Amino acid sequence: MIDRLTAALARSRAQYTEIRVERTWSSAVSFRGRRLESATASDDQGGFVRALHEGHGWGTASFTSLDQLEAMVGRAGELSRAVRLERPIRLADVPPQRAEATLDLDGDVRGIPLVEKKRLLETYNGAMLAVSDRVVDTLASYRDEVSEYWYVNSEGTVLHELRPEVTLSGTAVARRDGTIEKGLESIGLRRGWNSVQDKAAGFRTAAQRAVQLLDAPMVKGGTYPVVLDPELAGVFIHEAFGHLSEADFVYENPQARAMMTLGRRFGKPVLTAGDNGAAPGLRGTLPFDDEGMPTGDTVLIREGILVGRLHSRETAAAMGERPTGNARAISFRHPPIVRMTNTYIANGRGSFEDLIKDIALGVYACSAFGGQTLLENFSFTAAYGHMIRDGHVAEMVKDVVLAGNLFQTLDRIDHIAGDFRWNQMGGGCGKGGQYPLPVTEGAPHVRIEEALIGGDVPE
Amino acid sequence: MIDQLLGLARRADGGADALWRRVERTAVTFEWDRLKAAGATEEAGVNLRVRHRGRVGVAGSTAVAGADGQALLERALASAELGEEIELAFPPRSPLPRVPTHFDRAAEASLEQLIGIGRGLLGRLTRDGCQVNVAIERERSETRVANTAGAAGSYRATAVAVSADVWRIAGDDVLVIGDAFEGSDLPSDAVLDELVRSITSRLDHALEVVAPPEGALPVVFTPAGLSAVLLPITQGLSGKAVVQGISPLGNRVGEQVFDPAFSLTDDACRPGRTASRPIDDECVPSRVLRLVERGVVQRFIYDLETAARAKTESTGHGQRGIFGKPVPGYTNVVLGDRDKVLGENPRELGGGLLRDIADGLLVDELIGVGQGNVIGGSFSHPVALAYRIQKGEITGRVKDAAVAGNVYELLKRIGGFGSDARWTGARCAPSLLLEGVSVARR
Repeated sequence: MIDRLTAALARSRAQYTEIRVERTWSSAVSFRGRRLESATASDDQGGFVRALHEGHGWGTASFTSLDQLEAMVGRAGELSRAVRLERPIRLADVPPQRAEATLDLDGDVRGIPLVEKKRLLETYNGAMLAVSDRVVDTLASYRDEVSEYWYVNSEGTVLHELRPEVTLSGTAVARRDGTIEKGLESIGLRRGWNSVQDKAAGFRTAAQRAVQLLDAPMVKGGTYPVVLDPELAGVFIHEAFGHLSEADFVYENPQARAMMTLGRRFGKPVLTAGDNGAAPGLRGTLPFDDEGMPTGDTVLIREGILVGRLHSRETAAAMGERPTGNARAISFRHPPIVRMTNTYIANGRGSFEDLIKDIALGVYACSAFGGQTLLENFSFTAAYGHMIRDGHVAEMVKDVVLAGNLFQTLDRIDHIAGDFRWNQMGGGCGKGGQYPLPVTEGAPHVRIEEALIGGDVPE
Repeated sequence: MIDQLLGLARRADGGADALWRRVERTAVTFEWDRLKAAGATEEAGVNLRVRHRGRVGVAGSTAVAGADGQALLERALASAELGEEIELAFPPRSPLPRVPTHFDRAAEASLEQLIGIGRGLLGRLTRDGCQVNVAIERERSETRVANTAGAAGSYRATAVAVSADVWRIAGDDVLVIGDAFEGSDLPSDAVLDELVRSITSRLDHALEVVAPPEGALPVVFTPAGLSAVLLPITQGLSGKAVVQGISPLGNRVGEQVFDPAFSLTDDACRPGRTASRPIDDECVPSRVLRLVERGVVQRFIYDLETAARAKTESTGHGQRGIFGKPVPGYTNVVLGDRDKVLGENPRELGGGLLRDIADGLLVDELIGVGQGNVIGGSFSHPVALAYRIQKGEITGRVKDAAVAGNVYELLKRIGGFGSDARWTGARCAPSLLLEGVSVARR
């Protein structure tokens, strides 16, 4: 394959050309209630070419028929020439990379019969259903893949990788009369079959939570001191801050550049955050990004000050900064764009108890059903929460929606505990029509001195 | 190709169906005020479903060269072996409606023409202190579906998508106002004029920021801002939710659930819309389906499998990709009077509904729609783009406000429909005035 790709590259007349080819074997099983919803195995393959002629824009071509490889290299070149630019596109220098990388397959999922995968998930689904009669519906899903990946570019980079991925998720729906609540747990790993054994406990937790929520009152809307658990804090830093640190948002927009000037204070000195595509064993981890740039740890906020951002080769060159290995594509169907990998809030000091001990009335918001940011505004739906009363965790509450302004909220983070953990959740990140991109988030418990909790709106 | 595959699939004793689709896309992207990239996509794949010993299995592949048909069938049979028994019957051949899906002008548009549309928009949207992103995409596709019961259908389709966003960042205030056109044919000059006008008028009204109101107030949801209101209803009208027993509408067919002015239709035959097609992805002919008529719940949408589970017939809403099994999905959802579709007054923000409002809100976009427990009908969202209405007029943009309510309560009494009905993606709706929506400041 590599010989074929380098031969095709040699025929390109563009100043810069890159080719990615992927072949992905995947299987998926899902249960809905007691019923198997589907069990399928799939085979997907295709390629992507990106070409750049001097003084022109990007030309790209994606295709599923590899017979078309040479023609598509030509097509990408033609499309590039059709786009004339006054200011040329430059790419930051990256030394040519050559690597043959097989990530730890940890029990190659391709060798496991579909029936075994069904059996495993049936057990986990059964664990949810067994929790209570109140659990009226479940959705349990298993998905795995192994992707063989080839990348070459006209600067001499040649990569060949084998990338595994496996995800499990469980949603339990509990019902009593007209009240319907749900609990959700998931896990996503860049590993294989061995790593998804003995995971029934998480599924049970999801079902137990759905049942508990039936008795939980709706949180009373208002402003409170809010403590985020590591899962929600991770989602928060990814959604509310991470996307703003992606340089494709700022590099050619003078007002956005002014807003995101390095050296600007974004938080109190307790806050340090970053993105680490090289952290071992995580879902967002890969040795190289989809431009052949090695991944690494990029600090974005150090002690409250903006010190870095995430780059592709193009955005780095445009801003005179160093590329960070964050140009990623979800598949051969898409061009690489600036994305996060494993985004984190760094460890602070002290325990969870230290964070809540002087809160008379507050909210402990846990886990996430979802989150959306529209630049400076965000909204996150916690999976559940607890009131904090007189320094202690009190009754469970539901419908905890955290909404606010990013700048104000980051600045109100006043205490970060020393209990950091990576959240190995499933799901993924969406941007520019590319979803789901495997990412991970990590954080310790984080306290926001004052935040708006929506939900029950006063009459 | 799929006819050969179905020939092989006669090994499955309960029959089979298959979908083959080839898609070719050309896209041009203008980023931050300049043309930046052009791209092409060519993709083809096949999805096969078999029923064997009463059990259903599926398999899909993009790696299908002639000889791989056998391997695909083996995978589908392996999938069926694990499946549960379903009384799924593949429909026989039946006449198909004539639905125009392919427009030569769109199919033959050159790259230069697409770039020209983008340049035109960019030129008209550029203004000081703002940055513009524009994307134009043209798709040509071919679809063939067939089954072993003798039903089959093939069609070619074109689709064009044009979107533009204007960004204005002033200090820490980020304002993004966009609009998009989607259709089977190239947009006319009048449509592009309308897109420019829609963006600039909302931008002009947004420059001044005013304090949000508070309390239970009249709120006008624009055609784009309606998503949070309609999402629980469309989820509840899906046969999938009904079969699972989680739809609040599941046992309410024939009941007056909403205001008598509220009607909702799914129309798979509407000419010029990208979701239209003569046949669904499971060989069921397309039709116009009344979901809610004058506030009374009429029908749910079904694909073959959910219909089999509900012991009813498919409504022609099977949608399938290359991978995975078919699922029920809407085509073109039309709110209101389905014969009088487009509004006579698309030019006025709010479609004439603002006049009698003393103090209220016009909501164009909310944050977090689709999160949480949607199907129950309760929602609570911060506004992304909303305007304050005072004495019948827009007085400025509102930030830091949230709206909340329960759509089943709110839709019992509708304050009025605007005269500005338009398409937003695959939904056609006018502005909608709802009374007593909770508006909170923060």
